[in-house]
Amino acid sequence: MSILSKDSPGKKTLLMGNEAIARGAIEAGVRVCAAYPGNPSSEIIGSLSQVARELGIYVEWSVNEKVALEVATAASFAGLRGLTAMKQNGLNVASDFLFNLNLTGSKGGLVVVVCDDPSALSSTNEEDSRLYAKMCNLPLLEPSTVQEAQKMTRWAFDLSEELGLPCLIRSVTRLSHARGNAELGHITKNQPNPQFDTSRPIIPQPVMETHKALHDKIKKCQDRFEESPFNLYRGPERPELLVVTCGPGWMYVREALANMGAENRAGIVKLGTTWPLPTSFLMEQLKKANRILFVEEVDPFLENNIKELYAQRAGELGVKTFLGKASGNLPDIGEINPDIVTGAIQQILEVSYEPRSLQYAQEAAEAVSLLAPLRELGFCAGCPHRATYWSVKNALAMDGRDGIVLGDIGCYTLGVRPAGFGQVKTCHAMGSGVGLANGFGQLERFGLNQPVLTVCGDSTFYHAAIPALVNARYNQSNFLMLILDNSATAMTGFQPHPGTGRTAMGAEAPVVDIEALCKSLGARVQVKNPFDVQDTTETIYELLQDREGIKVLILKQECALVRVKRQKALYKVRVNQERCIGQDCGCNRRCTRIFKCPGLVWDPVTGKAQIDEAICTGCGTCADICPQSAILKETI
Amino acid sequence: MRLDHCDLAEGRCFAYCPRTQVDLETIHQKVFGQSYSNIEMGLFKQVKMVRASSSTLRQKAQTAGVVSALMKFALKEGFINGAVLTHRTPEHLPLGRVIRRPNEILSCAGSSYVAGPTLQALNQGPWKDTERIGVVGTPCQVLAMRKMSVSPIKRTTPIDRVTLIVGLFCTWALTYEPFMKYLKNRVSGARIRKLDITPPPERLLKVITDNDQSWDIPLDEIRPFIRTTCGICLDMTSELSDLSVGTVEGIEGWSTVIIRTDLGEKLLSQAEAARIVKSQPLPEENFKHLREASLLKKQRALLRLKERGELEDGYLTLSRELIGRILSEANEAGS
Repeated sequence: MSILSKDSPGKKTLLMGNEAIARGAIEAGVRVCAAYPGNPSSEIIGSLSQVARELGIYVEWSVNEKVALEVATAASFAGLRGLTAMKQNGLNVASDFLFNLNLTGSKGGLVVVVCDDPSALSSTNEEDSRLYAKMCNLPLLEPSTVQEAQKMTRWAFDLSEELGLPCLIRSVTRLSHARGNAELGHITKNQPNPQFDTSRPIIPQPVMETHKALHDKIKKCQDRFEESPFNLYRGPERPELLVVTCGPGWMYVREALANMGAENRAGIVKLGTTWPLPTSFLMEQLKKANRILFVEEVDPFLENNIKELYAQRAGELGVKTFLGKASGNLPDIGEINPDIVTGAIQQILEVSYEPRSLQYAQEAAEAVSLLAPLRELGFCAGCPHRATYWSVKNALAMDGRDGIVLGDIGCYTLGVRPAGFGQVKTCHAMGSGVGLANGFGQLERFGLNQPVLTVCGDSTFYHAAIPALVNARYNQSNFLMLILDNSATAMTGFQPHPGTGRTAMGAEAPVVDIEALCKSLGARVQVKNPFDVQDTTETIYELLQDREGIKVLILKQECALVRVKRQKALYKVRVNQERCIGQDCGCNRRCTRIFKCPGLVWDPVTGKAQIDEAICTGCGTCADICPQSAILKETI
Repeated sequence: MRLDHCDLAEGRCFAYCPRTQVDLETIHQKVFGQSYSNIEMGLFKQVKMVRASSSTLRQKAQTAGVVSALMKFALKEGFINGAVLTHRTPEHLPLGRVIRRPNEILSCAGSSYVAGPTLQALNQGPWKDTERIGVVGTPCQVLAMRKMSVSPIKRTTPIDRVTLIVGLFCTWALTYEPFMKYLKNRVSGARIRKLDITPPPERLLKVITDNDQSWDIPLDEIRPFIRTTCGICLDMTSELSDLSVGTVEGIEGWSTVIIRTDLGEKLLSQAEAARIVKSQPLPEENFKHLREASLLKKQRALLRLKERGELEDGYLTLSRELIGRILSEANEAGS
């Protein structure tokens, strides 16, 4: 039995931040949870799905974040508690609905968790989702610790119900993926039966009235925030410096001050409710010092909003110096960490403190290099995407018209890097490769003589590519779309999707057939095995010569990481050491320098290629790329 | 076409390519033990007209069945243990093939006038250490093999086991993809069975389709598909082979054979003695035409190189004096 489903109030346990959010929702009696996976948020729904049946919760992986929010909202409209979780980009997708939902309001507790990814560790962009809270005027909570993540989530449902508004929770990578102690609370049971009140429609009109109502609700929310235990001050009565922080910044500032021995010189205002601002609470804190430093991740959200507050009430506060991103004391991009915070405070307080040896980074890199092989960011051994891009590269070279490959988000984004032979030239939002292809496919009339090709994963296809494909058919654009169907949402952790035949709760599901769907849209559709690089290359080449309409090539091959768990290798692959003539070949190490599957290694002693049997998944693709036919694949 | 970025200073591709630096003098010295002196059509002992005795061969093979007959004979009589030939897929894509049984020779008869990777089959084999190999190739393929055999780069191909090279006459070759696309359209999508170019003055591409229909296509229509590199090729008669075979200026039903080495001479004479082929002396007039055609190809190539500014520092390392001689003899022959 998972600890998440245990009703053991008072029990202390170690939880991941995302598990704590899930546990908070469970304790609040959540009934419907829906999300599209996206790091660093994926484990919230992932862990809820593990206990869903046991707790009588409905959990689903939806095709995209907007649908997920709508699914959770339906529960709320019916009086149940609903939760959705997403990464920062996901909120962009869901925002269209959110900007109407703020006006209509919700009924049952509705919580929208957004996990931002500062420094874009596993994202295509860096974005501060908190600005949405201000834009659509919805309550925003920012937990600083794992314990707080659990408690805040639980409370967010109550707050949402009290206000009749969805409540936003913003987490970040270092909280979502960190582990910490949490004391479990009681699991709420005896939830109401769902009932939708049909006596009046839930619509944003009349907008002037609903907009006014939203402002009233948010004023009420502000009053609640003034008393929130999630906001606190720690430090001397009259500090030299007041540090205002939220999220993991709270821990970083405490660590920095403790290390520097400056706890008696600086005080910390820790905010857990960051929109609307608890202005009375803040006014009291701001009076404590004349120098105020803001420590937060990505955008100067607190910094700007508190400066706005100061602009209105400067008379009460006197002259203040605001330090943070605008002043250059802290970086205005990327993650922060205790070292960065230490550096900033050290400079302000003129404390001499060296957090760690200056050579630390270099020494750490050297130590790691002894343990891990030197590899650049790339595809796994036996990844079908590598084989696909090999064929794309060769087909485009054969075509000779400098074809354009438009990509988007998934493991296959690595197609922009040497791992994908630098084939992919654009990457923006989910499904925007095919969207851009729609446009490029219309430019031949102006003289564009480059064939247009777009790559899209199966999960991305369901998420955002279908409307673009409909558009292409309707407006008769001309491009080739490669659907890299690896039967997995691989990049975020193998969550099931409409093509996998399984639901989030492990039940069987009908498969939404990509091939049939594309055919029904009038596309010329072919299905191939990307491991057959010759056939795939020829097919891509041939489809590129067809200058009319939309062509879809589905390259179907299961993700290597999924396949190896389920079945044995397709082939026993080995390098015939007599046939491989190493540097004498003249191929210039095509296998290990260009194709570069991690399953192939160059032995510097023999000067020949070898298979790393520990990681080779036996896809056999490399046998077709060796000009000397030295790589042999034998059917097992 | 560049598939991958390569930073190898001295690789096999570069060393063996017939369109990278070619030192004909060194090749002649090493292969024939003689200087590069016959600038008209390479060293030779004799030029004859030859045809296969077997009417089946003559019918199935491209012209007089000479290449098929000689290779079959060479395999049977142990001149070689294996032959590298070019076969065509049903889509007429040429590919190299290793033949070890004489009866399989006919599977490689015919031509699609398309350049193909014949030597891949030579490289990939597999071959036994003791095997002797015969190769039939176009002038550029023959040149590539000779470059392999004289290259100081470490041997990685079975080139030292290649004991017999039969060269083909060639004026140009076509690029597969656009040519076949054009052709398929031209014959209304019918399946193409055989391609043949008729001798002058007609000079038509004859296409026989599966429905036994015959299509005559003027050569000018397919010229756009000629590989650009053929325009700078100096060699019409596979000057570096043991024995070259072609139809240029021959008499219908017969092939022109240029015997260049002792081995080439021995193969032809034994085949003749065994009544596998028949030969006749080539009439003086036809010989003159052959020489003229060969010289004119050289002239065209040199003028093209000059246009490209690569006459003296291009792939050919011919002296100014040799270039001058070739051009003046070509002018004379053409006038």
